[in-house]
Amino acid sequence: MMGQVVMTGQTMQPEAQLSFLDRFRAMRETRFGAFVPVLLALAAIWAYFGLALPFYDLLSGEAESFRSIFLSPRNIYNLFMQSAVIATLAVGITIVLLLGDIDLSAAATAGVCAALLGVLVLAGVPGWLACVMVMAAGIVMGAAQGLLVAYVGIPSFVVTLAGLLGYQGLMQKILPTGNLNVGDEFVRGIARVLIPDLWGLAIGLICVAAFATLNLRKQAQRKARGLELDAPLALWGQVIVFSGLVITIILTLNAYRSLPLLLVLLVGITALLGWITTSTPFGRSLFAVGGNPESARRVGMKVKRIRVAAFGIVGLMAAIGGIFGASRFGSVSYTAFAGGSLLLEAIGAAVIGGTSLFGGRGSVWNAILGALVIGSLGNGLDLTGASAADKLMVSGAILLLAVAIDAVSRSGSNGGR
Amino acid sequence: MSLENKPVGRDAPPAHPPPTHLRVEGIQKRFGGVHALRSVDFEVARGEVMALVGDNGAGKSTLMKVLAGAYTADEGQFFLDGQPVTIGSPNDATDLGIQIVYQDLALCENLDVAANLSLGAELVKPGWGFLPHILQPLDELQMELKARKAIDRLEVRTLQSVRNKVGGLSGGQRQAIAIARAVGAESTVVMLDEPTAALGVAQTKQVLEVVKRLRETGHAVVYISHNMRDIFEVSDRICVLRHGGNVATYTTSETDPDKIVAAMTRGLDDGASRDDGANNAA
Ligand SMILES: Nc1ncnc2c1ncn2[C@@H]1O[C@H](COP(=O)(O)OP(=O)(O)O)[C@@H](O)[C@H]1O
Ligand SMILES: [Mg+2]
Repeated sequence: MMGQVVMTGQTMQPEAQLSFLDRFRAMRETRFGAFVPVLLALAAIWAYFGLALPFYDLLSGEAESFRSIFLSPRNIYNLFMQSAVIATLAVGITIVLLLGDIDLSAAATAGVCAALLGVLVLAGVPGWLACVMVMAAGIVMGAAQGLLVAYVGIPSFVVTLAGLLGYQGLMQKILPTGNLNVGDEFVRGIARVLIPDLWGLAIGLICVAAFATLNLRKQAQRKARGLELDAPLALWGQVIVFSGLVITIILTLNAYRSLPLLLVLLVGITALLGWITTSTPFGRSLFAVGGNPESARRVGMKVKRIRVAAFGIVGLMAAIGGIFGASRFGSVSYTAFAGGSLLLEAIGAAVIGGTSLFGGRGSVWNAILGALVIGSLGNGLDLTGASAADKLMVSGAILLLAVAIDAVSRSGSNGGR
Repeated sequence: MSLENKPVGRDAPPAHPPPTHLRVEGIQKRFGGVHALRSVDFEVARGEVMALVGDNGAGKSTLMKVLAGAYTADEGQFFLDGQPVTIGSPNDATDLGIQIVYQDLALCENLDVAANLSLGAELVKPGWGFLPHILQPLDELQMELKARKAIDRLEVRTLQSVRNKVGGLSGGQRQAIAIARAVGAESTVVMLDEPTAALGVAQTKQVLEVVKRLRETGHAVVYISHNMRDIFEVSDRICVLRHGGNVATYTTSETDPDKIVAAMTRGLDDGASRDDGANNAA
């Protein structure tokens, strides 16, 4: 899978002459190669905070023994939970980024939805019903912006900037004090419920088995129909890496507490959206519109409706992010959503994950990894006692790096013209 | 250039004229003040490559877009196999089997060849009818097979894999893929707008081979180009437009590039010979 992107034909160079950049671009074009940069970034950050810093402390005599606080199960657990809200929003934002649009209002939408949730449960609406209502509200808030982008033709940047301002105001209207505690059992349960250790492991094993079966079955079907096969090394490599990651994560989480329901929900929703974006005509049309809107229009795709649906999905994901946040903090505050850094972190997560700001390339799974990068940076810098200023500057540098990688990969695909 | 000066060329038809497949009469198209098509007649038969030539702004692209339903003609009649038809939208044209390969190709560079060839007509797996069509699972393998077949039919030999992203392909390969997409859609009329304009020698050759394959497979091919060498290599007849009107239609084997160039640049009235291969345009 990683090896067969090299082309024959007029523009082909002998493989030996491929520059590093060419190889890099080729790798990014493959389905799993797109994960490599963000996984490397994550590995580098974890190695720095988890191994290099403690080792340095040991050498300089500050610590008596080698102790990695960053890589402790407790911290990993917190890291995942901290990143979950960012990840939820980033997954949603990825959908509009695929179209070549952007949503600046996602965090504000999440804020309005969380505030609405708090007010509803306070008024005695059952928790589950309040969640459903809030998700519907999120869809409406997103789709309304989508209508303006698609049918009125206003650039999404402007529409959602207006949305950002408007929804921030709306949140302040709903929460005049800027703060509200959420005590509802159902809502709190989303972040509090832990899957028993064995069940968590069972879920992980089922995922691994499903992943392996699907991959192997696809390979068998390719063989049966006489289609070119994936390289066995790549195939088994994927399965082994995936299994290793899943099992390690679950064992680590079990070592501190257990697999939290929140993460299961997040992964489940992402899997569903991942499937929709890669394996359905709707998903295909997202990529087509992002790659070449004119082409999509000419082959009869309903470009406007697709846009509205995509913005509706961001709204839904923002609402879910709001619910997750309210559940985790046990409260809703203006600064935690609309007024804080959540928006930039979520967009940063999507882009750092490898989703292109120019549209047509990316994946929701990358958004989760990007959120982990952002979360790890924040968490690691917190542990080292860095100031908020340092955190901002490092995050900015990482984001810039990610966008630069995006731009370089992109100029590669244009060079073929 | 005006219509009163319509030439009266030789009326001798070719020995075995292929039956006309698509024919249009009296096409008028205005863009605001610009009169882009002035009562143009045009026809193409199956198994024939009809070249459409003319200077820049002569109305070639506009005529093609009218035939493809991308523009609606202000006036004019359409006939398919002698039956009157209406072409008011791209869907009308597609339903009639008319496909256009645009100058800008309109491929999605971020998608692979197979995805591009099925774009807008994605195949889905059976048994998921309870879901709305846009959420049914794609049958990627079937689409790959379909793409493989389309590529093989056009004998595009340099393309290694239909799973390659279009962004990494050469200009000739892209052109071939755009053509394969048009052909794949059960089409009988394939129209190409300057398919070799941006290509080098070898890639041009590749595209011309594909065009010849289309003729062999019984398609009616409309071929816009500026390149006389290409036109004389690939076409059966040549229709010359000038300032939005017909000049004449020539049989390629009975004319030569100089005459065509003269007809393109000066029309018939001032100097171009009309005794050779030119048929009355209207
Ligand atoms: N969409 C349009 N709007 C306004 N004028 C147009 C449009 N398309 C074509 N024209 C005009 O119609 C004439 C014919 O154009 P076109 O068909 O593109 O010529 P060709 O393809 O033969 O070079 C030109 O004068 C052009 O400016
Ligand atoms: Mg043109």
